[in-house]
Amino acid sequence: MTLKKGSFIIEELENVQINIGKVGAKEEEIPEGPTPRPEIIGLRNWDNCIIDRYNPVYTPTADTCDYCTYGKCDLTGNKEGACGIDLEGQSARQALLISIMGSACHSAHGRHLLNYLIKKYGEDFPIDVGPSNLKAPLTETIMGITPKTIGDFIPVLEYVEEQLTQLIAATNTGQEGSSRDFESKALHAGMLDLLGMEVADIIQISCLGFPKSDEKAPLAEIGMGILDPKKPVVICVGHNIAAPAYILDFMDKNGQFDKIEIAGLCCTAHDMTRYNKTAKIIGSMSKELKYIRSGIPDVLVTDEQCVRADILKEAQKLHIPVIATNEKIMYGLPDRTNDSVDAIIEDLVSGKQQGVLLLDFEKVGELVPKLAMKMGPIRKAKGLTALPDDKEFKLLVAKCTKCLQCTKDCPQSLPISDAMAAAVNGDLSLFEILHDKCVGCGRCDYSCPSGIPVLNVIEKASQRVIREEKGKMRIGRGQIGDPEIREEGRNLVLGTTPGVLAFVGCGNYPDGTKDVYDIVEEMIQRSYIIISSGCSAMDIGMFKDKDGKTLYERYPGRFVKGNLLNTGSCVSNAHIAATTIKVASIFAGRKTKGNWEEIADYVLNRVGAVGIAWGAYSQKAFAIGTGCNRLGIPVVVGPHGTKYRRAFIGKPYKKENWNVLDGRDGSVVNVEPAPEHLMITAETKNEVMPLLAKLCFRPSDNSLGRAIKLTHYIELSEKYMKKLPDDWHIYVRSEADLPVAKREPLMKLLEEKGWKIDWEKKKIIEGPLRKVDVSFQPTNVSRLCKEAKK
Amino acid sequence: MTPKASGKQEEKIIDTTRQAVPFNTGNIPGPKMARAVMPAISGKMLAKAKRPILIVGSEIDDPDVLERVVALGKAGIQIASVGDSYKYLGDKGLDAHYVNMHALASYLCDPEWPGLDGKGGYDLVVFFGITYYYASQAISALKNFSRMKVISIDKYYHPNADMSFGNLRKDVFIEALDEVIEQLPNKNSR
Repeated sequence: MTLKKGSFIIEELENVQINIGKVGAKEEEIPEGPTPRPEIIGLRNWDNCIIDRYNPVYTPTADTCDYCTYGKCDLTGNKEGACGIDLEGQSARQALLISIMGSACHSAHGRHLLNYLIKKYGEDFPIDVGPSNLKAPLTETIMGITPKTIGDFIPVLEYVEEQLTQLIAATNTGQEGSSRDFESKALHAGMLDLLGMEVADIIQISCLGFPKSDEKAPLAEIGMGILDPKKPVVICVGHNIAAPAYILDFMDKNGQFDKIEIAGLCCTAHDMTRYNKTAKIIGSMSKELKYIRSGIPDVLVTDEQCVRADILKEAQKLHIPVIATNEKIMYGLPDRTNDSVDAIIEDLVSGKQQGVLLLDFEKVGELVPKLAMKMGPIRKAKGLTALPDDKEFKLLVAKCTKCLQCTKDCPQSLPISDAMAAAVNGDLSLFEILHDKCVGCGRCDYSCPSGIPVLNVIEKASQRVIREEKGKMRIGRGQIGDPEIREEGRNLVLGTTPGVLAFVGCGNYPDGTKDVYDIVEEMIQRSYIIISSGCSAMDIGMFKDKDGKTLYERYPGRFVKGNLLNTGSCVSNAHIAATTIKVASIFAGRKTKGNWEEIADYVLNRVGAVGIAWGAYSQKAFAIGTGCNRLGIPVVVGPHGTKYRRAFIGKPYKKENWNVLDGRDGSVVNVEPAPEHLMITAETKNEVMPLLAKLCFRPSDNSLGRAIKLTHYIELSEKYMKKLPDDWHIYVRSEADLPVAKREPLMKLLEEKGWKIDWEKKKIIEGPLRKVDVSFQPTNVSRLCKEAKK
Repeated sequence: MTPKASGKQEEKIIDTTRQAVPFNTGNIPGPKMARAVMPAISGKMLAKAKRPILIVGSEIDDPDVLERVVALGKAGIQIASVGDSYKYLGDKGLDAHYVNMHALASYLCDPEWPGLDGKGGYDLVVFFGITYYYASQAISALKNFSRMKVISIDKYYHPNADMSFGNLRKDVFIEALDEVIEQLPNKNSR
């Protein structure tokens, strides 16, 4: 007999109940390393090291605080409120809260999956993420343990949850008051976010058969034009694969993939394709309202995260039943979990109920395809859509008075009235341009004093481009495998691969989706390694070259220079951050267990990796970015990122901020500002490209690597900004650092700046901040210096 | 009646104080919001400043707007060229320097910042032609964490500035810029 976890009663022993916890539990692994399971104070010194160099810059959206009943308090000009907090402290508190929200979101997602997968597969189900020994880099680095089974993640999430509770407590009125300590806590929350994401993705990769470090994962179809609207259509919205997996299984078992179209919106779509490559992708959250209003979906299934708060209201108008499958989003719907599938279907088809809460995934799996088969013909016969017909369209565009209220309410300030005027004359081209730039929020509908349903008008006018919106995205591969790191780690640390650029986050782009494609295309042609995830990974696949090929079809998916990788959904962001840990561990032999500070110090000084969240909108994106910052990875956000209210910006003119230690002897070395910032925004795609190149500089670059990085920095600046960067010379340590093709003219410019050049030997004699030293071991942690160790 | 219109019926009346509500409807920061001003006031303050800085961004690609940026630059005002605006200014012989807007906001709050040319800090910030919400957020740092005077001469009302025009039509905006330039002592360098 095998004993299992649970409770049981022994016959004849009345009133005796035996409870069994972990059966045959392995001896619990003792956490290792200098800072295993760090509490709030555990990495405070490291945080202060970051904050001292990368000063928090606050850009408040509100100058008041209304968190407690003392307020509202006016904090304008950094005044103190009634509780004593000033605007700097309040802004830092908000940064912490945003970071907590995002972290809690991913970690709760992980908790939901962990409970579900343990129930289904058992705690002892082994972790399998592909060909790696370092299977859970973030868990090892933070927790000091090596998980082997999914049950080993139980204490990991317990740690995250406990720490998040402590952090939330610190935001109450009368708790923390120092902006520096709020920021340290925000960095802590960001780190917890990375950990929660890693748990979520590793367990679903292990249990659900997702690609495991698969560089050749297949391509999935993506776009608003990919589905056959004549078939019943199921759309799953959100991030959590648990419920959609049952729908896919049921359809697979019953051979329904040719009868029903099933696709996802936002990160659920990623994980549906990772689970079953037959699934398709509509796109990011920006497509959510647009696609619902098209009337094409016959059933909407929601789970969690990035689901519009008005999805039920919008669906009701078009008689699209909503099946809510997660407690986090219930919309006030009746809980029908314990009812029969047929009874629920009857109520939904008849319209007696507009939606249901259904938490039994078996039932979700059976109900949704059956419901779609019934709803599809009914809805299609009625031709239900929110979009106006041709006649209505003409009347609507003629109603526009050019008051510009829609532009004032639009997050992108789009010139909607110009498009209305052109459409009056039969020209739809301006609307077609707006379709890509529009984030589909629908605020314009509320603002129009003439009652024009603006978003519907944009979408109606854009039907031609929507029908052609068909792209390809490589299915999320999961982690970067150890063998790939072994192959590429050296190039990254020495700089001969110019950098890793991680395109992550959401679709709130300042000037449309195409920007992301353009940036990726430019940088991948320059041999940067491009890693993507989430909505960015989707949007990269939406555009084609002149031969009709997407970037995923043009570039392979291995972790080597000039490749394009997609790790997967939002929670797969953990693997991007974890890649830098793998470089430190596998290439440089750094110990990972419970050793965050040393690893982050290594990453900051030696690994040329930069995150870019060009369309970041959510708290989750901010938490991811903040977690990356604590790991020493700089992050660039689009202009909307200023609304996060806090950035980490370096001051290159303060020379003393750029001192590092040489690990060989503890001596202080003043280095170039590399990386110059940890979190910053840019206004346009032209500005961001040279900025990305610059943020890939690291003090450890060898001369060949520095020359390569400098080449791209200069070329990108000249191409997109029409100028030589003002600070290029700061990054020159010797003539060998100069781009080969431009060495002589650049040396002449250096001479004009007062540098001494030996023209016979073509050598720089005097001028650089420091010399190249191939053995230099830059560190910001004194205990890592050999002298200190003695 | 505006001061300029007084007694001059033939001149077109420019009133930049109308529509002084945040261009993005929800952008209401708090009790202190910019005073709506006429162009002559902004121009005089710019003329009186010892070391002003003009910040311009990616929205100066319009030829009419660009012409005014160049005129301000040629009148001797140093230009912080944010976003990708430098590509429009680099060949115009101006004292223009590329800088990231977010970083600039940080530097302007720092009394130790040596300025774009290493000659010290600034006593007045004037700006226009930057993505609206981006500029608004960036200058909220100056509003709350510096003593810098900030004047918007943009076509949008910017609540986080000390002074701003209201929301203007393009033709009024261009005329307003001309009136600002008119106040500058070295305006004829155009």
